[in-house]
Amino acid sequence: MRAHAPTRSFRADPALIGVTPSPVRLSLPAQARNIAVVRRALEAIAEELALPRRLIEDMRLAVTEACTNVVRHAYTEAEATQANAMRVEMLPETDGMRVIVEDRGRGLGPSPDARGPGLGLPLIAALTSQLEVSHGADERGSRIAMSFAPTPIEAA
Amino acid sequence: MTEAAAGPNGSPGTTRVSIASGPLVGPVLRRVVGMLAARADLPLDRLDDAVLVADLIASRAPAHMQTPSVDVDLETGDRTLFLRVGPLNPGGGQALIVDASVPGVGNVIEQLADDITVKPDGDSEYLLVRLAYSS
Repeated sequence: MRAHAPTRSFRADPALIGVTPSPVRLSLPAQARNIAVVRRALEAIAEELALPRRLIEDMRLAVTEACTNVVRHAYTEAEATQANAMRVEMLPETDGMRVIVEDRGRGLGPSPDARGPGLGLPLIAALTSQLEVSHGADERGSRIAMSFAPTPIEAA
Repeated sequence: MTEAAAGPNGSPGTTRVSIASGPLVGPVLRRVVGMLAARADLPLDRLDDAVLVADLIASRAPAHMQTPSVDVDLETGDRTLFLRVGPLNPGGGQALIVDASVPGVGNVIEQLADDITVKPDGDSEYLLVRLAYSS
């Protein structure tokens, strides 16, 4: 899905980060200000993994979009304040990262202020190497699983 | 994923971060705590204190957790940041505080926090830390 112009980058040395980097999970109220918390955590992991800068930017954009979907569509204002309304799981992989954004609300839907189909999911699809969209736990809400991997040029 | 309970201060608007013990605990916890300390409008020196406390929790807590991850609930108030670390092993709360002693400096968490409480909860316990700024 991703097709980028050539960029110079560095590949993480697995010996520096451990053989199997372990997951990070965040549970937060589905509020716009918490998207920044998710982005900070994502950046911290990506930098520890020494992922290519271009890949980090793509991840940041796609994960922001996925979280924005939750904030805008999944809950009523009162429901959104629940501590675990938005769940984000970040799974470092040997050559990239997998990020899952999940809610237990109404799931994906059209923007109330949009005139046509939004760009959210197509944009996420364009930025990921693999995208899975499904219902959340107990068939409630939505679950967006995004995989990010450097293009061969980025990884070189 | 683990269900998040009510926050350290008893309210539902909590951020829970759960990081599998390993090299990512420090970098992730430091960023999240720094972000929320800024949101709580803590001044720069207290924000630095909060990040230092986060670093100590990241380095010392894995030995005392009941889970293979470091779990921290965070909540912001008026120029206040609350942290709840746990579930910890029985005695883990006090052990974590003691472990935060640095030779020549003393106990850093005790020196920096406005309030530290160990709260038992069944077979586990939680370390509650409050960092505040009062002008």
